[in-house]
Amino acid sequence: MTMPDLDLPFIDETVARIGRGPEALIPILQALQDHFGYLPQEALQRVCEATEITPAALAGVATFYDMFRHKPVGESMVRVCRGTACHVSGATRVEDALRRHLHIPEGDDTDPERKFTVEPVACLGCCTLAPVVKINETTLGHASAEAIPEMMESYQENRRAAAATPSTELPPEPGGAEEEKPAIHVGLGSCCIAKGSDSLFHALRDAVKQASVRVEVKRVGCVGICHRTPMVEVITPGKASTYYADLTAAEAPALVRRHFPTRGIFHRASRLWTRALDTLLLETEPGVERNAMSPRDSEVNAFLGRQVHIATEHFGTVDPLDLDEYLARGGFAALRRVLDELQPEQVIDRIEQSGLRGRGGAGFPSGVKWRIVQQQPGDEKFVVCNGDEGDPGAFMDRMILESFPFRVMEGMAIAAVAAGAHEGIFYIRHEYPLAVKRVRAAIAQLEARGWLGEKLLGLDYKLTLTIMEGAGAFVCGEETALIASIEGKRGMPKLRPPFPAVAGLWGRPTLINNVETLALVPWILRNGAEKFAAIGTAKSKGTKVFALAGHVRRGGLIEVPMGTTLREIVEEIGGGVPDGRTFKAVQIGGPSGGCIPARLADTSVDYESLGGVGAIMGSGGLVVLDNTTCMVDMARYFLQFTQEQSCGKCTFCRVGTRRMLDILERLCAGKAERKHLEELERLAHQVGAGSLCGLGKTAPNPVLTTLRYYRDEYEAHLRGECPAGKCSALITYRVTAECTGCTICAQRCPVDAIPLTPYRRHHINMDLCTRCDTCRKVCPYHAIEVL
Amino acid sequence: MNTLLTIDGQEVAIQPGRTVLEAARQIGIDIPTLCHLKECGPLTTCLVCLVKINGKLLPSCATQAAPGMVVESETEEVHEARRTALELLFSDHVGDCLSPCQRLCPLQLNIPEMIRQIESGALEEAVATVRQALPLPAVLGRLCHHPCEQGCRRGAADDSADIRGLERFIADHDLRLPSPHLTPCRAATGKSAAIVGAGPAGLGAAYHLTLQGHSVTVFDRHARAGGSLRAVAEAELPREVLTAEVVQLERLGVEIISNVELGVRVSLDDLRRDYDAVLLAVGERGASEGEKLAVTVSASGIKTDAATAQTSVPGVFATGAAVKPVKQLVRAMTEGRGAAECVHRFLMGEPVRRSGKPFSSVMGKLDAPELKLFLQSASSEKRHVPCDTCAGFSAAEAKGEAARCLHCDCRSAGACAFQHYAQVYEADASRFRAARAPFEQQLQPGGVIYEPGKCILCGICVKLTEQAGEPLGLTFIGRGFNVRIAAPFDHTIEAGLQKIAAECVKACPTGALAMR
Repeated sequence: MTMPDLDLPFIDETVARIGRGPEALIPILQALQDHFGYLPQEALQRVCEATEITPAALAGVATFYDMFRHKPVGESMVRVCRGTACHVSGATRVEDALRRHLHIPEGDDTDPERKFTVEPVACLGCCTLAPVVKINETTLGHASAEAIPEMMESYQENRRAAAATPSTELPPEPGGAEEEKPAIHVGLGSCCIAKGSDSLFHALRDAVKQASVRVEVKRVGCVGICHRTPMVEVITPGKASTYYADLTAAEAPALVRRHFPTRGIFHRASRLWTRALDTLLLETEPGVERNAMSPRDSEVNAFLGRQVHIATEHFGTVDPLDLDEYLARGGFAALRRVLDELQPEQVIDRIEQSGLRGRGGAGFPSGVKWRIVQQQPGDEKFVVCNGDEGDPGAFMDRMILESFPFRVMEGMAIAAVAAGAHEGIFYIRHEYPLAVKRVRAAIAQLEARGWLGEKLLGLDYKLTLTIMEGAGAFVCGEETALIASIEGKRGMPKLRPPFPAVAGLWGRPTLINNVETLALVPWILRNGAEKFAAIGTAKSKGTKVFALAGHVRRGGLIEVPMGTTLREIVEEIGGGVPDGRTFKAVQIGGPSGGCIPARLADTSVDYESLGGVGAIMGSGGLVVLDNTTCMVDMARYFLQFTQEQSCGKCTFCRVGTRRMLDILERLCAGKAERKHLEELERLAHQVGAGSLCGLGKTAPNPVLTTLRYYRDEYEAHLRGECPAGKCSALITYRVTAECTGCTICAQRCPVDAIPLTPYRRHHINMDLCTRCDTCRKVCPYHAIEVL
Repeated sequence: MNTLLTIDGQEVAIQPGRTVLEAARQIGIDIPTLCHLKECGPLTTCLVCLVKINGKLLPSCATQAAPGMVVESETEEVHEARRTALELLFSDHVGDCLSPCQRLCPLQLNIPEMIRQIESGALEEAVATVRQALPLPAVLGRLCHHPCEQGCRRGAADDSADIRGLERFIADHDLRLPSPHLTPCRAATGKSAAIVGAGPAGLGAAYHLTLQGHSVTVFDRHARAGGSLRAVAEAELPREVLTAEVVQLERLGVEIISNVELGVRVSLDDLRRDYDAVLLAVGERGASEGEKLAVTVSASGIKTDAATAQTSVPGVFATGAAVKPVKQLVRAMTEGRGAAECVHRFLMGEPVRRSGKPFSSVMGKLDAPELKLFLQSASSEKRHVPCDTCAGFSAAEAKGEAARCLHCDCRSAGACAFQHYAQVYEADASRFRAARAPFEQQLQPGGVIYEPGKCILCGICVKLTEQAGEPLGLTFIGRGFNVRIAAPFDHTIEAGLQKIAAECVKACPTGALAMR
């Protein structure tokens, strides 16, 4: 294949801009992919010619990371999220329906006319909106296999309008730190934007301008109540705030008129509108203080009541990129003290006294880690903020980076000063473009004030901060793989020791901390280690941020004290399982974690208790599962994930997880025998014991916990039964006497397995049926049952 | 100062900075490794070198020995982990160590090796190969029911190779020499064994026991050795051929005493007194003989422990048709060899057992495109028929027939670390049955052969090419289970190995990289 029109100057410019060393490889490939849509081989060869990068290194890296494509793509990219929450909400069916609708042949990812490319993605981190589909830059939540044609149609219609929507990534309005001023806060995290809060934001600004009222329409970070986005909080001085959920741009003028009336004809005409608005009110009792407990336990109160906000301090009220506002609320005070007053040892002492443990999952004491790096000789040390949040079903780090970039930077700067590092690197998933954008903008603001580089915060300490975008590899969340990735290599873990704290990036001592860990640091230094240690349990101090999603009424980003029970999280904060179904289990810790059954829901959320029931704290993904979830399918789902994400280096993980998946697939197909089940268990222990890195060592956990708590379901699959009615090879459908012959099922069946028999009971041809479940979902009379 | 640590209870002192693997090897513990090559540093990919330290399994190749470290190596738990690593690798290993014909040969003759030697005209080597495995090759070359040919992959294309004919050609060639080849025996052990019965099983056992360095005497009630072979029609087995092969056994050191009927002049107790072990190979008369000798019998013959060939009388073994009916000649000889292994271990004071089958990865049936790969370097001629059937193949005919062999065995068989440790650890190559990936073979013009299915992704060649500054080199392509080794940008494997092809082939722990 020759490409006579290959844009060679672009490649040369990219190399000139990014660099010629090995560490430039991934950023160069990302730039090429953005430009060409894929990586043409001629372009790659040109990169080798123009840089020090060898062909072997380049080919190895270009084929390691998910984001790099080697074939041209269709005009539009359709990404289907395969995260945990999406999986349990029917992502597979959405993907199948999309492929059918877009006429994508089996074994291919692009339709013959090259209009659409459909690509699964590990997790988009918008779990409360599951199932999620992202078309080009637009994220669409609550996708439904039955409504794919409608979804694609409305996407096409809105495409032009969406393209015209101006960015919400604007510099904050001056004077934003003023407290007593009427304001409308609009949550502008990725989840909110996915549900249209960007157009709502602009609509509100327009409405305010039109109404000529002095009201600030303010961009704020994540509000937390992600299941009801777009979220709006109306602040009127002297009055309690009012929350609105699920607003649309069309309702903006009415909202402005309701709270900030202007005299005139419009006011009266809008009465009707305002009444319609009332149905969208979250806070029903006007005049009730936002944080006061209402006698009628409102949704907001239930959701927020148990929460303690440290990493997410000032959630939903501050503009993520308003540096003055951050400063006005005590931002960078901790860093200033660290630079002005405290010795590095004193800082580390305080972190140690606070009992802070790594929030990335393993829970290693942060103070110990900091001290090891601090004690290493030499001037060249690094601090890395691990924002490679790859667990499907987790979005805490994305929300923190999007909403509180300055806080994370302050934590990182404190860590750098304490450890004696002068370079800090944010490693952020490329799947989180808004997080990258905001951190970049935040760095630029600090640089503009002269607070980064030679003089951190204007004082005598040198610190530069840079961003490295991941390229799509879950394993890069593992420290040694992350370092390899920053160095421009394939993200393959190494045996520890040596630990990165001793020999990390470029062989130098490197302090790697998770986003949330760093976000807690400024609070600890501002409020005292004792105050932090007073929260939580004996061995797990402080709070933990969770991404609550799955089969739960209220999903979102929550921060609770360690020691809160799973039941409190699921039933009180989350409002329990919806739709009359029952609470079956909680999946915690993602692919390294486990499924904890509802009967153990009184387990306290702390490192030791969760470990005791076979799960792990993990990074904070918490997916609630109801009784329609098949636990064998859950185990299969996670094994498929780890199998796809295994770097392929060591035998136990590369081949072992594959063989475990083989057996789980057999089970789900009803083709397994007892000896397979025994082998699964034996192999699970061996993969856990023998694998080189954390990914492989914890990969069997979802299997081991489900075997521990749901062995009966495995046994049922041996008999060819799926008790939850999920495994498509093991179920059939039956049309009951309730059928009125309305023909909806026959019309919607994608494979014509239901003959059209108006006014007569329908029948499903099980030989043609693909068990896509559409008929059951669309039947208005619930006349189709699973056997 | 040296680092002191303990491995399996043994103290080891080793220079600081060395690994646990080096420490273990220093005291003679053979920790298996596949991805380890000193020049490359630890690659930690294969993980068959696991040891247990502080309750954790760790790759010994990358774990630095530390003072006071307590290491477990030769324990069942550690062995099971290593075995599992090997078995997982085999579950994704596309290739045969041994050819189907060799696996089907009860005596495990290395048939493809013999055929290649014939093809290249190295007849002396071919004779050595044949005699190593077969006690009476000229007899088997005429009478064997050749199960090997049923498994011959060439049969799927046209006709199987005439393996027996080639075997006969070599055996006859040898017997025509003034001094036919004698397989070298091991140093004399000073132990003796008496074998009763000079039929196929008895002679087969005598041959193998002699090769092991024991002094062997065969008693037979007939005037001439051969047992049931004496009853074969002259046209099928000329007497002179049988006699010549018996003479070969005698030249090797087997003493044959004819016209001795056990229980008449010599009793079993006499034999037990005069020899260190006795093997009864009395043929179909086993049941009645056994009763006479006061050895426990069953309906089919003398009763033995199937695993050890031992009879009810200590130090007395039985084999062949004396135990249960044996239809085929080669099976009788195989039984004889199996019993000989038991007797040998008994004589050496080792736990008595038959040797296991040699380990082999098994690819199973080939599909049409795979068969084509095998056919590409073989002669396309039809099966040769000797023009004078009585005389067998001429040298030219044998060469022509040998050229039809598809070389189904692995080029690294016998020199493969992977196969070796699988044998040592008694790995079960089929523990994890899975859909097999297609067999691939890239025959390169420069002589390098790359069979990606055999690659275990150890990374040695990737590292060596990187260190050598190969202009293209080799790299890992892809991620996870689908990783493979290739040269970048779809170049051939040889293009990636312009400087150090030979080194990489030599260092490959499996047969993935080989030279033609």
